[in-house]
Amino acid sequence: MQTIQPQDRSRLDELKHLRDIFNAQNSKELKIAFGALHSCLEISEEDLEVQFNRYFVGPMEPIADPFASIYIDDPDVVMSKSTLHVRELYETMGFTNPLKNIIPDDHLGVELDAYYQLLYLEEAKGITYLSDLRHYFLHEHLSLWVPRFIARALEHSEHDSKAMTFILLQLKSLLIRETTTQGVTA
Amino acid sequence: MSYSKENVESIVNNGLSRRSFLKGLAASGVLSSFPGGILQANEDLNTKIPYLGEKSYKTFRNACPRNCYDTCSIKTYVKDGVMQFIEGATESTYTRGGCCVKGNSYVKRVYSARRLKFPMMQVGGKGSGNWKRISWDQAMDIIAKKLLEMKKEDGTLLGAALTKYSGNFGITHYGIEGMFNSIGYTTRLAGTPCWPAGIDAQNLDMGDMWCNDPEEMKDSKFIILWGVNPASNSIHSMKYIYEAKKKGAKVVVIDPVFTEAASKASQYIQIKAGTDGLLALGMAKIIIDANLHDQKWLDANSKGYKEYKAYLDKEIKLDNVSKITGIPLAMIKELALSFAKAKPATIWMGYGMQRHTNGGSMIRAIDAFVAVSGNIGKYAGGARYGHLNTWGFNYAALSMPKPEGSVGYTGPEGAKGDVAQGKDAKSNYTDRFLNINKTARELINAKEPKVRLLWVACKNVFAQDFDRNQLIRAFQQLDLVVVADQFFNETAKWADIVLPVATQFEEYDVNVSYWHYWLTLNEQAIKPLFEVKSDLEIAAMLSKRMNQLQAGSCTFPQSVDTKAMMVKEFNPGIYEQFGIKSWEELKNGPVKAKAVIPYADGKFKTPSGKFEFYSDKALELFGSALPTYLEVRKPYDKFRMTSPHSRWSLHSQFQNLEWMEDVHPEPYVYINPDDAEAKMVKEGDTVAVFNKQGLLRVKAKLTDNVQAGTVLMYEQWYNNNIYNVNELIDDTSSDMGAFKTGAPGVALHDTFVNFRKL
Ligand code: SF4
Repeated sequence: MQTIQPQDRSRLDELKHLRDIFNAQNSKELKIAFGALHSCLEISEEDLEVQFNRYFVGPMEPIADPFASIYIDDPDVVMSKSTLHVRELYETMGFTNPLKNIIPDDHLGVELDAYYQLLYLEEAKGITYLSDLRHYFLHEHLSLWVPRFIARALEHSEHDSKAMTFILLQLKSLLIRETTTQGVTA
Repeated sequence: MSYSKENVESIVNNGLSRRSFLKGLAASGVLSSFPGGILQANEDLNTKIPYLGEKSYKTFRNACPRNCYDTCSIKTYVKDGVMQFIEGATESTYTRGGCCVKGNSYVKRVYSARRLKFPMMQVGGKGSGNWKRISWDQAMDIIAKKLLEMKKEDGTLLGAALTKYSGNFGITHYGIEGMFNSIGYTTRLAGTPCWPAGIDAQNLDMGDMWCNDPEEMKDSKFIILWGVNPASNSIHSMKYIYEAKKKGAKVVVIDPVFTEAASKASQYIQIKAGTDGLLALGMAKIIIDANLHDQKWLDANSKGYKEYKAYLDKEIKLDNVSKITGIPLAMIKELALSFAKAKPATIWMGYGMQRHTNGGSMIRAIDAFVAVSGNIGKYAGGARYGHLNTWGFNYAALSMPKPEGSVGYTGPEGAKGDVAQGKDAKSNYTDRFLNINKTARELINAKEPKVRLLWVACKNVFAQDFDRNQLIRAFQQLDLVVVADQFFNETAKWADIVLPVATQFEEYDVNVSYWHYWLTLNEQAIKPLFEVKSDLEIAAMLSKRMNQLQAGSCTFPQSVDTKAMMVKEFNPGIYEQFGIKSWEELKNGPVKAKAVIPYADGKFKTPSGKFEFYSDKALELFGSALPTYLEVRKPYDKFRMTSPHSRWSLHSQFQNLEWMEDVHPEPYVYINPDDAEAKMVKEGDTVAVFNKQGLLRVKAKLTDNVQAGTVLMYEQWYNNNIYNVNELIDDTSSDMGAFKTGAPGVALHDTFVNFRKL
């Protein structure tokens, strides 16, 4: 087994924490994942969740929906073409999704999970079998919509939430790092 | 590192390359190394069959339950667990393979990004917009504890109120009333905001509300569409009207507004709002005077014809009829005589006309006219309003016993809405009924005990009820407001807890119509998305938690499968009526009730067993035995305002979907050009429409489709828009409704406003 380099460890960890933020089911899980990102912001569990919900969950219309289809296919619906495309990608990657047809496959939390697991195989396990798929997923899918998602959420600075801005900037830098540290040839 | 896009796409999209890729994946041992997260390693990669995706559609039977005449039978196409599209079922000759624009948008509705996804609690107080996710268990715990605490403190659960109306008319949805029945005697917002005055009128005249099959209209020789706009709101009925017209029938629309249906008719008659009853009385007088009435039928089948005729002779002056209705006398005569000569002839009365202070009496007057013309009990004839004659289900989900020792209301009993709710014969108690059409003030004024918890289901109170400012006050004074819905609407904004509810595609149900005669199965076509649950499942979860906290406190089943509950709704009577042996036959498609002509045998369910021109019950309840002319509400401001349905929404449903927003993105006030000129308002100007109730700012559209002196604004909820026409409507009652549905209707169209350019 190859030894994982510290920079790769933090790359993986950060990805995992961001994944966990978007998959949190309650304030406690959210706060733990947020805290793990080493934010020095002081914020209560409840405030963090209220702000997170206003931005990404609802019940009112969120500032930015965390689904790829909203940015790629149709701003109003989920479970559309790109959702099913991602579903096929997961199946090819060897994943099975226990939340299939319950949570759209292109939910940011699920996509970050897929990306995390693929990267883990490469970096922690030294298995490069799926790296083509990971790069494809990153460059041909995540990069198509996540920047738009981040931009939309950041645009609404009147709702100015330092915590959400922090999360979004972390996501942004992760995406930049992932897309620039790896070369692409067609 | 590099990657090849083409290479990956060929693996993903090409069955054979995918097969070998998956084979290699399984062999390489990658699967055992996945770290695990939400997505799991797929141990069952089947590389023997090339992966082609699940390309073929599975189809399911569904129905549109949203309170529309048409109650379409739907066929749903699902691929790999995802709804792809729907179409109207071809088996139903009524739906005949088509849905309306609203129905066709169902995929967008189910997968709308705006759906409520998780149970949530508003932590900063009602209206704060600060929401926290809670689990279903937490939600049920909060609600159950509140209910039990109220019961302990008040000695009864009358402090818990339910308001539910027309968001889902599926039969198992009466399980929400069942949930409230199962916790004890509670408070219900009773009555209907929709059609009560007309229901009472038809029950007084005929002992029932029962209309002929709309498909018969194709053979009618004369059709009057009276205050109804099927070209917008019952599009499937139009084909029968077109067919009749093609065969030579005359189709007349009588309406104060030039509607889409009017544009398709042979003749349009613009009547002054609220004078329809007088027109009907005048027409009856004309045909009797011309000896074109059906004396034989009247002799055999009616009660009080003599008194009715005497009233017409004495009180109805045709010149006055013409003057008050605004219709030339010659036109009235021609209409009445040609209707009487054409056999069979029929009148379809809409639900708008009865929304006046004299609404019930107007429906009675039209019933009487149809009776005089000899068209009741005839194929392709009839005074059509609606019916519940195919609704003979078991209401198993509704019929829950009260928990042992429940204490309830001992005041005077009222009737209970569209579907009667069983009264426990042995009990001295009843539920407490508040008038649904005065929700705001009834919630505020209810005492001993006061209402502390309100459950809202299948309903957007803020879009459907009146007096918004009072409503906010009423909601704010409640300890706990629970809103179970599919979308975050105005009502959810004022809730403490919102519960995400399944669409009909995510649960089992069964549907019939209050207009046509078809029965449709509603199958679960897809898994419930996110954490949505059906209303029945919610009831079961609440029951479980209540019983955990206090055994025996709730009699609703503690786990429920919507399919099993749906099956319980069937009985031999239903099977017999629809000519099937088992509900399973409905999987092959909807079925139609056996042909029947209402009242063809001359038997009416009135006390006399006859058509009652003279009704003792009407005299007792409403002070007039005969269908007489009752003047409409006096104007209290300069312009009459009508607020009909639009074709893009069903009350507040559907308007929030992108397809509807594309064509109808914002509300308007429609003003006659003459009135607009007098007020110096031009097309597109923003105007303030105001009255003693409130003020709305809205853009103007000028059209002579509405009469001078009248403005029109559609009723509905517009997403992200504070417009709500009900802010201008007081809760003044129509004359009838309390007899059969527990509360009078609302005289919505007797609203008066003024406007000015902003
Ligand atoms: S809204 Fe009416 S016409 Fe449209 S699909 Fe539903 S039932 Fe059919």
